[in-house]
Amino acid sequence: MYDELTKSYQAQSDSLLGIVPGTDGIRTQALADFLSKGFPTKKTEDWRYSDLKALTASAFEMAGSDADPEVPAALSETAARFVFVNGRYRESLSDMGELWQAASVRPLVNHFTASEDRAGELVRGQDAIGLLNTALLRDGMVISVPTGVEIDDPVEIIHIMTGADAQAAHTRHLIELGEAAKLHIVERFIGDGSSYWTNSVLQARITEGGKLAHTRLQEEGANAVHTAKAHITVGAEGSYQACNLSLGGKIARFEAHVRLLSEECVAYVDGVALASTGQSHDTLTHVSHTQPHTNSDQIFRTVADARGKTSFQGKVTVDKDAQKVEADQSFKALVMDRTAEANAKPELEIFADDVKCSHGATVGELDAKAIFYLTSRGIDPVTARQMLVSAFTAEALERVENDSVRAEMTERVDAWMAKRADV
Amino acid sequence: MLKINNLHVEVAGKEIIKGLSLEIKAGETHAIMGLNGAGKSTLANTIAGRDDYEVTAGSIEFEGKYLMELEPHERVAAGLFLGFQYPVEIPGVSNLNFMRTALNSVRKQHGEEDMSAAEFMKLIREKAKMLGMDPDMLKRFVNVGFSGGEKKRNEMVQMAVLNPKLAVLDETDSGLDIDALKTVADGINVQRRDDTAVLLITHYQRLLSYVQPDFVHVMIDGKIVKSGGKELALELEEKGYADVA
Ligand SMILES: Nc1ncnc2c1ncn2[C@@H]1O[C@H](COP(=O)(O)OP(=O)(O)O)[C@@H](O)[C@H]1O
Ligand SMILES: [Mg+2]
Repeated sequence: MYDELTKSYQAQSDSLLGIVPGTDGIRTQALADFLSKGFPTKKTEDWRYSDLKALTASAFEMAGSDADPEVPAALSETAARFVFVNGRYRESLSDMGELWQAASVRPLVNHFTASEDRAGELVRGQDAIGLLNTALLRDGMVISVPTGVEIDDPVEIIHIMTGADAQAAHTRHLIELGEAAKLHIVERFIGDGSSYWTNSVLQARITEGGKLAHTRLQEEGANAVHTAKAHITVGAEGSYQACNLSLGGKIARFEAHVRLLSEECVAYVDGVALASTGQSHDTLTHVSHTQPHTNSDQIFRTVADARGKTSFQGKVTVDKDAQKVEADQSFKALVMDRTAEANAKPELEIFADDVKCSHGATVGELDAKAIFYLTSRGIDPVTARQMLVSAFTAEALERVENDSVRAEMTERVDAWMAKRADV
Repeated sequence: MLKINNLHVEVAGKEIIKGLSLEIKAGETHAIMGLNGAGKSTLANTIAGRDDYEVTAGSIEFEGKYLMELEPHERVAAGLFLGFQYPVEIPGVSNLNFMRTALNSVRKQHGEEDMSAAEFMKLIREKAKMLGMDPDMLKRFVNVGFSGGEKKRNEMVQMAVLNPKLAVLDETDSGLDIDALKTVADGINVQRRDDTAVLLITHYQRLLSYVQPDFVHVMIDGKIVKSGGKELALELEEKGYADVA
């Protein structure tokens, strides 16, 4: 069906054989799976709201570049900053900080050299997007925080795409937290106006008592396709706290797959998506409770402008023996215009009987009464709307612990509203 | 200060204000009384600029400006304040942030600098104290979880902070116990000066014994049917609207 396209991906994958030692086996398997499955369609339940035309029309070549783009200022004090340009780690632009003293840090290329077995830790992927990431993975960061070590300042991983028309970057980051270790990863995605594809996967293993915060700031260029997946496992008393702010790209999708594997562990998966005219922002979460006394809470707030679209699919599964589970999910969308679209599909699969699960999904417009109340106190209508949107989204950003990161995110929400008023 | 001339207002295609005229001069306090549904709140909201209330005829002049040409926030900068009958709850926006943004928006429209955070805190604490509002309520979200009385007090704090030329107070007395009523009345009386005016909207005489109006108007079915001095309020209380009108 996509002859040219599959040939291209086959050739790209082949060209990578031997490049990342240890990964040839899984790479080949992933490619074979991709070739037999093909891309999801609108009939694929998990992809019902996504338009994949941009990915299925023709193949994206492997990006790579010698360009020296400007690296944006850090959002906060950082423990380290790792910069990827067009999918490739760029040491000269990165800042190791003092992280290397406390944790093991290395680029993916060298990770599997010691033992091929470690490649077995790689999540192979289920759908074409994930499988292609595995078949074409080339670079990424591997960060392993030893038992008891707490890294307080965030570690920024910055993905920059430049001059990458019809090119793709398939990055793969691996995070491992030892017992009671603590880490805050801030992933940032920026790019120019070229029509590139960012396809990024971050996988993390949080062992007993580990705490991983995962903040994402997606500010891709206007013509970009952004697909990203987080694959997380959480051990006893561990926690995963994610917050995704989706602003950029033409088509953007973030998936969080979180498995709560032991008692007393918890997942907070939150996000804000702001869809300007013509943008589509999708979120898919799957939180799986496999053990008793595991909790999860998800708060998503989205705003869609004229002909903008946001979608949320939130799946929670509770296994048969996973009693005393509490799982909550709240999705609220604002549509700023009649041509804006918001979709929500909460999905609960519960096989245990003693669980507390709640989910709510609402779609609405800004409250005209509230706007009048604010303006009747002298506040101009643009600021009034900005205040209401800021208040609406705040709840979903609240769990970002680092004050300065959270403030930067809030500022971007306000800036989005201010820019919107200018047009 | 305020001159309403033969005002007609439609709400959802239905005429609610049916040719109402009223003039208020600086230094005066007026009261409009009328039964539920007479159109009092419609009048108040029209003065403040609610955009789904359509003025089909007549005019409202305020300090020489035609109000219909100004947006709601511009009317506030011109010196107008509406105390809402039903103050709106705004989750996620703190009372402090709300009032500070409001005050600075008005200052900006006057070409003035923002008030410093310290100066603002001093001002707001002073006004909250004067109106008997618990300072903790300033940190809470605007009107969220406030009792009816607390909402009305909050309106009065906002009025005190903005210090308007004309305050239109829509049923500010309803939902208040007698102590709260006295505090709120004191707050209104502070606002009565030679260069300001107050328009009280109420359907009880109660508030008027604490804030004595210079003029009382009776409103029935979208029109003022009778005007008089403060004794008219007592007469209404005794005889009822039907007999007086
Ligand atoms: N938003 C609205 N939509 C439709 N009808 C309204 C609206 N607001 C007020 N009305 C109607 O206008 C009339 C006057 O209401 P209102 O001004 O609230 O009276 P009052 O304040 O004197 O009790 C009532 O019949 C009411 O039902
Ligand atoms: Mg009323």
